[in-house]
Amino acid sequence: MTAPGPVVAPVGARTHWEIGGPPTEGAVEVRAPVGVITYEPADMTITVGAGTSFDTLDGVLAEHGQECALDPRSRAATVGGILACGLSGLRRLRHGPVRDHVLEVRFETGDGRLVKGGGQTVKNVTGYDLPRLFVGSLGTIGVLQQATLRCRPRFPRSRWFAGSATDSFRASARLWDGAREAVLFEGVDADVESQGRGLAPLDTPPALPDGPHRGRISVAPGRVGECTAALAGRVRWCAELGVGTVHVAADEADALVHARSVSHAYGGWMLREAGGPSDDDGFGCALPSAALMRRVKDAFDPGWKLNPARLPFARIG
Amino acid sequence: MTGPLQLDAETLNACVSCGLCLPHCPTYRVTGREIASPRGRIAAMRAVETNEAPIDDAFRAAMEECVSCRGCEPACPSGVQFGKLMETTRAALPSPRSRVRRGAEWFGYRVVLPRHWLLITCTWLAWLAQRLHLVPARVGLPRLSARSLARGLELPTGGTPDAWLFTGCVMDAWLRDTHRSAARVMGATGARLAQPTNGGACCGALHLHAGREAEARALAERVMQSMPGVAPVVVDSAGCGATMKEYGKLLGSADAHAFSERVRDFSEWLAHQAAPRLRPTGIQVVIQDPCHLRHVQKAHGAVREVLAPAYELLETADDGLCCGAGGAYVVTQPELSRRILDRKVEALRAAGGGADPIVVSANPGCMVQLRGAGIDARHPADLIAEALDE
Amino acid sequence: MCFPRSSDEVAAAVGVARRHGRAFVARGSGTGLAGGATPLDDPVVIVTTQMNRVLEIDPQARVAWVEPGVLNLDLSRAVGHLGLHYAPDPSSQQACTIGGNVGTNAGGPHCLADGVTSAHVLAVDVVLADGTATRLGGLEPDSPGYDLRGCFVGSEGTMGIATRIAVRLTPDPPCVATLLCAFDSVEAAATTVSGIIAAGVLPAALEMMDAPITRAVEDFVGAGYPRDAQAVLLAEVDGLEGGVAEQVDAIAEVARANGATLVRVAADDAERALLWKGRKSAFGAIARIAPDYYLHDAVVPRTKLVEVLRRVYEIADAHEVIVMNVFHAGDGNLHPLLVFDQREPGVWDRVHAAGTEILEACLDAGGVLTGEHGVGIEKRDLMPRMFSPDDLDAQARLRDAFDPDGVANPQKVLPRGSRCGELQRVPEGTWI
Ligand SMILES: Cc1cc2nc3c(=O)[nH]c(=O)nc-3n(C[C@H](O)[C@H](O)[C@H](O)COP(=O)(O)OP(=O)(O)OC[C@H]3O[C@@H](n4cnc5c(N)ncnc54)[C@H](O)[C@@H]3O)c2cc1C
Ligand code: SF4
Ligand code: SF4
Repeated sequence: MTAPGPVVAPVGARTHWEIGGPPTEGAVEVRAPVGVITYEPADMTITVGAGTSFDTLDGVLAEHGQECALDPRSRAATVGGILACGLSGLRRLRHGPVRDHVLEVRFETGDGRLVKGGGQTVKNVTGYDLPRLFVGSLGTIGVLQQATLRCRPRFPRSRWFAGSATDSFRASARLWDGAREAVLFEGVDADVESQGRGLAPLDTPPALPDGPHRGRISVAPGRVGECTAALAGRVRWCAELGVGTVHVAADEADALVHARSVSHAYGGWMLREAGGPSDDDGFGCALPSAALMRRVKDAFDPGWKLNPARLPFARIG
Repeated sequence: MTGPLQLDAETLNACVSCGLCLPHCPTYRVTGREIASPRGRIAAMRAVETNEAPIDDAFRAAMEECVSCRGCEPACPSGVQFGKLMETTRAALPSPRSRVRRGAEWFGYRVVLPRHWLLITCTWLAWLAQRLHLVPARVGLPRLSARSLARGLELPTGGTPDAWLFTGCVMDAWLRDTHRSAARVMGATGARLAQPTNGGACCGALHLHAGREAEARALAERVMQSMPGVAPVVVDSAGCGATMKEYGKLLGSADAHAFSERVRDFSEWLAHQAAPRLRPTGIQVVIQDPCHLRHVQKAHGAVREVLAPAYELLETADDGLCCGAGGAYVVTQPELSRRILDRKVEALRAAGGGADPIVVSANPGCMVQLRGAGIDARHPADLIAEALDE
Repeated sequence: MCFPRSSDEVAAAVGVARRHGRAFVARGSGTGLAGGATPLDDPVVIVTTQMNRVLEIDPQARVAWVEPGVLNLDLSRAVGHLGLHYAPDPSSQQACTIGGNVGTNAGGPHCLADGVTSAHVLAVDVVLADGTATRLGGLEPDSPGYDLRGCFVGSEGTMGIATRIAVRLTPDPPCVATLLCAFDSVEAAATTVSGIIAAGVLPAALEMMDAPITRAVEDFVGAGYPRDAQAVLLAEVDGLEGGVAEQVDAIAEVARANGATLVRVAADDAERALLWKGRKSAFGAIARIAPDYYLHDAVVPRTKLVEVLRRVYEIADAHEVIVMNVFHAGDGNLHPLLVFDQREPGVWDRVHAAGTEILEACLDAGGVLTGEHGVGIEKRDLMPRMFSPDDLDAQARLRDAFDPDGVANPQKVLPRGSRCGELQRVPEGTWI
């Protein structure tokens, strides 16, 4: 099935470009269509070209009082990039991971076929779940053309507070950096107020750690305490409580490698987001079910033309 | 279409194989096997009925493994009358090949149960064996009391009472004290009571569940004659009560229907009387609904109603699943019966907060079964009698 | 047929099947409505009912590890005392297994806000078609590489057998309100559904029943549904007090604006429970009055509900079959129920024709073939109506990646000829 041709690297807005390692030298960069294809506010679903930026998407939805809680770090990020990287936003505790927001994907496979998976309705179990397979595949099984996303009404009120909220019902996010805890409540005024009672409101959301070397650790939520204790000192970090994502940043590349091995020690792994020793990429753990994942890759990209030099396979498996 | 089992086609076809009955079936719960489930049994009946499968040992085993608890009936959206299907099927099964078994069945169903004096004699023998430590506690035979056995129930026999107290066969032999309690409580409401005249000793429930329909019919006729008139027939054994409430269906006669209308479970009857005065005991008891009270008579609410003024009631979380007693089931399927019982005991202990609770059960079979597992099982009548504020 | 008690025994069973050149099929309670667990190709049937232990409950992390044979409702009961529940609640929840739910990616009335099974399964230990065991997903929020867990959920046993499942538990909401709204026409009810969603309200559940169903339910359960209504809506909102109050008002307003003849908020838990009991017994109620029925499952965009429902009734009329509707209106998941008596000659053909036409009407409105029951055998051959040859080929290849020899639940989900190699490629546009 292998068609001759160059190696391909799908490109979005390059806001997460370093994830997965550098693409093959000389790879042809391909871009996805931009713009809203259909938006039915009364259905709370939107279909956009994969090259559409989150900023554009959010603007269109906002006009109808809706949103799609993808929450990328940079608003310039494209829908295709967000899905391919599978990076969930800070409000995941309440809104769920990125993969739960995707209803249908259409992508071009490595052997040049346009494939549709899922469906445009909010509920669907027809056929295999290609949308979930695509999310987090780092551009290695297809070039996303368009995606249908699930939206929801925007909350009338959304507010961060300083303090702990272990027993509150449905906090949207809980962040903890070792010294302070911050919690986000969303809802109608009365509920946000009643939940924030006794807590100090924050004017700006807490900042995630930044630096030239960044990554995100995934550990079981129950192990965040141990894991962050072991991180202390070497990197700046901020944990999403109840989720298990720990954002880390450092000034030295080594520190990021250290964080990665710590994550592994607590049963987790790390995705390098920026900086770090790019020649030493990987997840901090072996690729699980590697043989099966290779067969999946083969199924969609028999010639290994899509991002072959990048994760999940490069260098580690 | 009627095949070898003579089942009613409509009833058989009512099953749409949806499986909603599965979790309510005790044998399915402990085995996880489709053939040990209502849906599986119906499928097997269907196969035999349409001559796709023979009546072989496997089929017989599948039918005999059913406890006849009828937990599947209220769970079924299609209203499949499983009890009816099972009784008809068992009636159509040819008698078992084993001579010993046939002999034992003949002796039990034909000789002992219908002859009350013989049952009492056997019970005396059992009493003797118990004294000589020949009966393991596991068997759950209640501790027989010579005093109780020797003393009759001090109630008039026959006449025109306000209510009949049905005494039954096994219950009268083994748990006669419970009858005394029932009589005391009923007396406390001011009702005049009587016990059935001779012949009304066995309701035929055990026979019916074993597919011995003809014998059951004969016994039913005798029971009806033993309690003439219009007064309510109060039954303190849920299994007997359930069968007697279905005499109408069994015999089909107008008399039988009228008789069935008069049958009340003890608690059900009591709930409709001017309640006797009870003192709050502060004691916690876990309720165990006998299948035939809950699934067939649907009178399990009354038990709670009459006990609530005197006891603190605790519920199990198992939706009233069977305890595995099922009349003669303990004897015919000891292994399955024990596994069902183990599950039940776990649920009872959980409801009692881990400790061994006092359990209330309105059926002698269940009481015996539970006591065999070391559970302190009491009849509602005994509990109420204890709390009477006289 | 075998009844393994552990993951190892499942692997052994698969091994035996493979050594004898046989296929295998996973089976839970067998309540599936698409024939997913029906044995084809004389397979070894691997029944999970004896793997029925809740292995571990972590109330802090809100996670439970369960074996696949655990019944859905038993799981919620096992965690009830912790103020938690397992959110996906199919109407068959008392009988179906978590393994079967994973197999079909089951939904339920309360999946509107909370999401279907896939959103509640964190990790699955599976035995693959070659007999090896592996873990897909994990308790960590994300897993390295592809989301194979996501692929597996809803794969109807064609990618292997789940032997241990980690599920997310959901905290019980502090405040719940249930509204009952009645209407003079199905259209008014359907318009209300679209109106509620359009008004920016996302209820926890939003269910609709038409007149025949409502009456049948009332006869069966006596839940207090109005007998004279042409359609009723059952809406539930949950969360914190303020939000609940506001959403109740919003829903009531939309309902009244669409001419609701009754808008009632359940006064207490008992009334709420009774209303739900009525809804969940709907199929039961029908089963009691109808000799036979055929239940469909399709999803349409919520904006198309009015139009599609009208078509559904027209189609049923044209084929002279009775159709009743009871469905998860909030997410557009229709369950048209065709009621008939199979003794009537020729009725099967009419029912079948009507069913197919209804599905096509749903697809034409931008809908999908199945919302929760799965493809199984029932809808396998309709797959080309929704997917192109390339789409199906991609799905077939994904399946082959999991099961190269096609021995896991063969002949399900994908129609014959899905792999492009299986037939000569036809030019674009000539797919029949
Ligand atoms: C009255 C009624 C109401 C229903 N309501 C709903 C509803 O509201 N929502 C809904 O979604 N469904 C509903 N269903 C359909 C059905 O209950 C669900 O599909 C359920 O998930 C099936 O579970 P089960 O245990 O019976 O699985 P089965 O029927 O035994 O199997 C279903 C599929 O899953 C596969 N499977 C089973 N176990 C495993 C395993 N361990 N690993 C991998 N694959 C496996 C099987 O191979 C098969 O393909 C209803 C069914 C009935 C009868
Ligand atoms: S009567 Fe009891 S044991 Fe027999 S099939 Fe029904 S539920 Fe199971
Ligand atoms: S619940 Fe009733 S219809 Fe369903 S399988 Fe059981 S007996 Fe058959």
